[in-house]
Amino acid sequence: MPYNGKITPVQMAFLLHPTIVATALLLVPAMTERHAGRDMWLSPLWALMAGFATLLTAWALHKRFPDDTPIEYSERLVGKTAGKIIGVLFIFFYWHGSGSLLREYGEFVSGTFLMETPTEVIMGGMLIIAAYAVRGGIEVLGRCAQIMVPVVVVLFMTLILLVSRNLDPYKLLPMLEFGILPSLKGSIVPQSWFSEIIAAAFLLPSLTDRSKGLRWGVITLLFVAVILSLTNLTVLMLFGELAGRLVYPVMSAARYIEIADFLEHLEAIVMAIWVFGTFIKIVVFYFLLVQCTARVIGLSDWRPIVLPVGLLILISGIWTAPNLQQLVHALGTSIVFELLLIQLGIPLLLLAVALIRGKKGAPATAK
Amino acid sequence: MNSLISRYRAWLLVPCLALTSLSLAGCWDRTEVNDLALVTAAGIDRAGENAVELTVQVFVPRAGGGSQLGQPGSAAGDERSVVRSAKGKTIAEAMAKLQERFPRRIFWGHAEVFIIGEKVARTGIREYVDFFLRFSQPREHADIFVCKGEAKKVLELIPPLERHQAEVLRELSESKVSLHVTLKDLAEMLVGDAGDAALPYLTTLPPPVGKGQQHTIAYIAGTAVFRDDRMIGTLNQQKTRGLMWLRDEIKFSVVTLSPEEADGFISFYLLRSRTKWLPRIEGDRWSMTVEITTEDDVVENTTSLDLLDPEVTRALEAELEREIVRRIELTLKQVQQEMKVDIVGFAEIFHRRYPREWRKVQDRWDEKFPEVEVRVEVDAKIFPHAPGSERAARLLPVALSAHARPDRSRRGDVPLDGRRSRPLSHLV
Repeated sequence: MPYNGKITPVQMAFLLHPTIVATALLLVPAMTERHAGRDMWLSPLWALMAGFATLLTAWALHKRFPDDTPIEYSERLVGKTAGKIIGVLFIFFYWHGSGSLLREYGEFVSGTFLMETPTEVIMGGMLIIAAYAVRGGIEVLGRCAQIMVPVVVVLFMTLILLVSRNLDPYKLLPMLEFGILPSLKGSIVPQSWFSEIIAAAFLLPSLTDRSKGLRWGVITLLFVAVILSLTNLTVLMLFGELAGRLVYPVMSAARYIEIADFLEHLEAIVMAIWVFGTFIKIVVFYFLLVQCTARVIGLSDWRPIVLPVGLLILISGIWTAPNLQQLVHALGTSIVFELLLIQLGIPLLLLAVALIRGKKGAPATAK
Repeated sequence: MNSLISRYRAWLLVPCLALTSLSLAGCWDRTEVNDLALVTAAGIDRAGENAVELTVQVFVPRAGGGSQLGQPGSAAGDERSVVRSAKGKTIAEAMAKLQERFPRRIFWGHAEVFIIGEKVARTGIREYVDFFLRFSQPREHADIFVCKGEAKKVLELIPPLERHQAEVLRELSESKVSLHVTLKDLAEMLVGDAGDAALPYLTTLPPPVGKGQQHTIAYIAGTAVFRDDRMIGTLNQQKTRGLMWLRDEIKFSVVTLSPEEADGFISFYLLRSRTKWLPRIEGDRWSMTVEITTEDDVVENTTSLDLLDPEVTRALEAELEREIVRRIELTLKQVQQEMKVDIVGFAEIFHRRYPREWRKVQDRWDEKFPEVEVRVEVDAKIFPHAPGSERAARLLPVALSAHARPDRSRRGDVPLDGRRSRPLSHLV
């Protein structure tokens, strides 16, 4: 029982969904449009492949080591030293990851709503609540997600429904004007987001019903792909080629809603969606960072390091980029490779080692 | 010590919770409504070489219906908005200067009308569109207009019916009698395949006799036509209708015919209409068939024709079709042959249907567009009806409200004596 607690497979799905979607709605549509143009709605569907690859790898490894997280089984697979190195890689990855997503959140809030509040204060406020939730343990996180995510999804669907009367399907034409390549190129950034499903590898051991883990993982991925594709479709049918020139197209779409002279200025809904969604995402990353750190160092209790780790996340959030433009640039270039390498590359490597070393050969080398 | 803490744990939490409530208020960005100057409309004019003049109309909040401050005999005592302007090399600079002239912080979140003066429009508007899209406060759905003369003059008008000029324009564009273009639409037109744009064109209605120059409104009297981002001319209201037929934006139209068979006139009221575009490329010949299906109601018949006779109806339909085609062709002649700007959106339509051929001409679309052969085909259906039928009853309020507008504004000119009516209501 790795985290002193259990969550249901459905709760896992609720945790994983915002882990991918929350920030993907923020900057990714515009980044996809720049490559894929009018075919941007196809890109999340291609990117789904990367998600499946990651999930299946995580599941295959989980089948071999049902009680272990990647930190433990990497040590058992490739030996103590190499295993620790992989563990440290995960630590740095989740540190950088949670930092830059905290920053994305801070930049969004201070850039669109609280212009004069320092970003650090916005990030710090979020972090304090996240720390409180993380200290509560995995069951608290599961329940948080169970309560918040349905609200987020309903709000999001309402938004799309309200904007739907301004949509023009003709803006999707001509489809595949330059063949399939642009939409594939556009899918690279979403692919890196989809690979975040690797968080499942850390959650699977603490499921109440492990047999349903894969099923709910798949459902999560499909649902994520549908939401992202729907978002891109909406943005495209509303703004056409303008979509790539807006920083937060979904936000602009929400601002565009105007029904009967009184249902307008609805960006507060977008705000609610992001605060909820990003909260879950930050909490998941934060929790995994704490767990990885505690396991690699070999602590008997992980709770005391929650607050210090939080401080480090804040620092990483400040360090990650000097401004929003550079953050967006990094998210579209180097961070893509970082995400795919750590979240898909390392698990694939581990699986390859496991396959070479024999079917379930690992327990023998564990001692 | 530890036990002490755990015993008073709940009490220790209370000050912590109280402290967190402080951060909930969001102190940094606290803005009180009474510290804000809400911009309802903004206008851009040219001020000499290389300078712009930004004019804003700011809403004046007032406790509803209370007694007015004693300003005897001043017509301006009823002012519900303040208009101020400032000049600058860029809009941002003008904005900063404008802020110096307001005791409250200028807030653009409710700016829903932007008016561009004709002089500015003729020198190019791209930079302004870019600025308003980038600047996060104004809405993407703000309406954009071009006005004859100075935008400042339009904003200074005191409309008799609505609270301020911004509301007049907003209502006018909502009514869909003319083009309705938002900031988003304009930006899309400018980055679109053709790059040409059309905006509603405002003219000031002459004020009623005996009233000051400012007691009137500006209304949409046509279309300002842009090549790239420069205004090159205007279409009158009739041709604007033709353009709306072509763009499938027509919602409201009354067509009056004088039938060949009889004396008098028949007026048709548009119920619904749909425009389809069928592009075709054969070798080097590009053609476009515009198919319009429309359903119309007869609202007025001063002829002796019996509209219930199917023969007559069919003949009238044919005449209505010819009339609509004639109107559209009038527009096409000016837009396509004289101005040579693609404000209909043919570029996108060809691009969608023939992406490969489109790529070959996209750089010289300006030359290709006038060569496109356009055929307009109208299929009209008319519903004649006896007075008192269900349809007539449904139409009646529409017709009434259409007539009510000028009536009401005239009534507004007759001063209603509020003081005399009050004691009367007391008696009742």
